[in-house]
Parts: sequence; C-alpha cells; structure tokens
Amino acid sequence: MIPPGAVTAAAPGHPLLATADVGALLELVPVQRAGLALLLAAVALPVVGVVIVGLDIMPVRFAMMHVALLGIAVGLLTGPDPALCALVACALAGAGVAPMARTPQGLSGAMGLLMSMAIAGALLLLAVSGVNASGAFALLWGSILAVGTTELVVLGALAVAVPALFLWRRRELALLLHDREPAECSGVRAGPLTLALLVLVAVAVAGAIKLTGALLVDALTLLPAPAARRLGSSLRAITLWAVAIGVTVNTAGFLLALWLDWPPGPVLVLTAGAVVLAVHLIPERRSASWRRTSAAPWGSLSH
Amino acid sequence: MGGLDIRMREVSCRHGRVPAVSEVTLEIAAGERVALTGTNGSGKTTLVRAVLGLHRQTGGSILVGGDETRSAAEWRRRRRVCAWIPQKPAAGRFPLLGRELPASSGAPRAAAEAAGRLGVADLAARPLHTLSGGQLQRMYLARALGCVAAGAGALLADEPTAAPDFAGQEEAADVLAGLPVTLVVVTHDRALAGRCDRVLEMAAGRLREAR
Repeated sequence: MIPPGAVTAAAPGHPLLATADVGALLELVPVQRAGLALLLAAVALPVVGVVIVGLDIMPVRFAMMHVALLGIAVGLLTGPDPALCALVACALAGAGVAPMARTPQGLSGAMGLLMSMAIAGALLLLAVSGVNASGAFALLWGSILAVGTTELVVLGALAVAVPALFLWRRRELALLLHDREPAECSGVRAGPLTLALLVLVAVAVAGAIKLTGALLVDALTLLPAPAARRLGSSLRAITLWAVAIGVTVNTAGFLLALWLDWPPGPVLVLTAGAVVLAVHLIPERRSASWRRTSAAPWGSLSH
Repeated sequence: MGGLDIRMREVSCRHGRVPAVSEVTLEIAAGERVALTGTNGSGKTTLVRAVLGLHRQTGGSILVGGDETRSAAEWRRRRRVCAWIPQKPAAGRFPLLGRELPASSGAPRAAAEAAGRLGVADLAARPLHTLSGGQLQRMYLARALGCVAAGAGALLADEPTAAPDFAGQEEAADVLAGLPVTLVVVTHDRALAGRCDRVLEMAAGRLREAR
C-alpha cells in the first residue's frame, strides 16, 4: 500500500512503528476513494446503527452475513450476479422478520433463527451445487482500499437516503423506537415503518460488508450508536451524536492507519471501540444534566 | 354529554391457549362513565386492549360509535377516537423526551397545557425513562387530554391512579370524571370507581354488573 519513498521513519527492529508520509499517500487515487467512502459511510451507517440499537437487533450483522452467503449460494447455483442475489436475500430477510417486531423480544430471537437457518441453507446449497465454500465466502468480503465508483455511488445514495428518512419521519421514528404500542395509538403506521427500517438495515449492513469488509461494519455501523445512545437524550440528539462520532472515528482512524501503515479495518474498529469505552467512562456529567429540569421547554417541539 | 357509545358482543380473548376474556357482552352509552374492577388476572386490561386492537387473539365484535374495524385504516381511526392511558406506562426501549409524548396526541398545545395543569410541564425536556412512575402516568394523562382535545370520543384508562401520590390520585380522578367523553376506567381505586355511573366486575374473564 505504501509507495516507494513514502515511508519517512522506520525504527530498525521495530517494523510496527514504521510511519509513512500521509500527504504522499493521500495523493493516491485508491486512498482518496477510501477516504471519500469512509466519509459517506460515516454519515449513513451510524444512523442505521441507531435503528439497530433502537430495535434491539445487535446480532443483525451476523444474521445478514449468513443471509448474504445464502444469496451468494443461490446466485452461484442459478446464474444471476451473486452480489445482487446477496442484497436481495438480505432485503427479503429483513422484510420477512418484520412481523416478529410486534413483541419487544421478537426481533432479537428472529435474528438468531435467521442466522442459523441461513447458514444451514447456504452450506446445503453450496454442497448440492458443488461450489467451493471458501470461494463463496470470498465474494462476501470487501476492502475499503478497493472501493470502486459503483460502491461510492451506493454509499452516496445511502448517505442521502438514510438521513432523509430520519428527517422526513423523525416524529414517527422516535415514537416507534421508544415503544410500539403508544406509537400505534398515536397514528404511527408501525407495521410498514418497521418493515422499511428492517429492509434498510438489512441492505445497508449487507452492502457495507461488501463495500468495506465485515470488520468495518462494526466500526461504521454498530459502535457509534451505543456511544451516541449514552450521550443523547432524544432521537435527534442520538442521531447527530452517532454521525459526529462516525465522522471523527473514520477520519482519525483512517489517518492513523495510513500514518502507521496498518490495515484500516482493525485500526478503525479499535478507534471506535476506544471512543465507546471513553464515553462509558464519563457518563455521570451527562446523566446529571438529564435529571436537571428545564424552565420553559414546551415552546419547541422540534427536538 | 358527548362521547361515543361502545358495544361489545361475545368478546373472547386468549393469551396463547389460556383464555383471558370469555364471551363478554357489554353496552356503554355515549358519555357514560364505567369502572371496570376485579381481581388481578381477571381480564380487565386484555379487554381494554382488545378495544384498541392491541390484543390480537380476540373474537366477537367491538363497535365504537357504531364503527367496526376490519382494515388497517379502520384500526387507525379506532385508535384516534379512543384515547388510551396504558397500565404501568413503559419507560420505553429508546429515549423519548417528555414533551414528545403529549405532542403525539394530535393536539400538542392542549396536551402541553394539560401537562402544566397536572404539574409535569417542567419535565418536558427530560427523557421519559428518568421520570418516576407517578410523573410518567401524569404525562400519559396529559397526552390523553390532548387526544380528547383532538377529537377522541372515548377514553380507556387502565389504572390511571395506581402510581400518583394521594393528591395526584384525587386530581387525576377529578380530571377523568369531568371529561366530556365516554370513560372506561380499569381501577382498584374506590374513590375513582365512586365517580363513575356504573361499576362492572370481572372475574375469570367474565363480566358482571356490580353497581
């Protein structure tokens, strides 16, 4: 990844501490694309993470990896583009588990069931079709340094669509993520909205696995949301915190990975994990301010 | 007195294989105030939830204002014309600000004014999960008053005076009894039941007139 002459300082005997000329690396097109992809992902994916935390479906990443593998197996067996089949399979799986959202614990259990059945179905299909399983797995992994124009367009579309949905349906989403029954009694169409959210989550997670690699999904999607959940006290605040954490983690982690010439995935995950830990270590001040009452807070209903 | 009449005919509800409500037939006139009493587990909450379509394993028919519910749109209308105060309101899985709950009533200004009268206006900027049970119940009462202001003709209140302090119980009972709507209130509170026109008692899923 480092061009000749880009390494400026290397301690003999300590290759881990070799540092690179970040400025020179940033002039490389793949690095520029990776940086842009991470910025776009930082806007869209942490918001998807907020939905994942709100619906209590943290195992969704594993479930979607297995469903995507099933889609790839179907694609390899029947002919269409396996990556497209993976996305369609994830969208259908997201829609399929939506009815389970009627009870608070329903979705979490459904994710476990989906995960087990999808991997079993995928392995069965691969065995029947005689396709090498490791070849199918390889189609699932992406890399942030290998993103192309198509992937950038998909991330750009997600970066527009996801925040737009949140702005458009903020009141309904806040009520639905809080408690489904009062939301239904407030005119929220809980069924269709949950279905849309689950399809969005499934496609975003599956797309992110393909675009950035499975490990980065944790850093981009899952980790900012719990930290933001601790810092914000409304859906709007939590969403803004999640995006802010995503942008910060992605920028800092990516520059650090370039500077140290370490793989971006693990560095970004560790950076995001460090932020989550730091937020959990300093909760008291924020918690205290939550308990403080406000003088005339009814004027604006825009929070 | 305004309000909508409620007619139940042979309503039965189940929790899985366990029957919770058995063939309840009940007519409540428009504007009538009815207290639903009975032992724990006798089916009161399930019956109220069935009116709103929140309990799915329900048989028989329930008409509010003469309207049946067959489509999703008709259920949305039912939930608009029937305000609801849930039993032990949930603090929720995800933060919701105090002001957002009354604002969801359809008449945000009226609900905010009701919150002021009920002494919870200064909790508007706090997430619901940081409120006490009594404060949360007052917030739900404020929301219900907003629903009534927005046109609801019936109020289904499930133990609305269970959590507030003594003064709050009196205040809530006065507010509920004074509303110009049909009131169905599940309660163990004798003072609140005393303000109602009829008292019904449920036992093992069956209903009988107690007063």
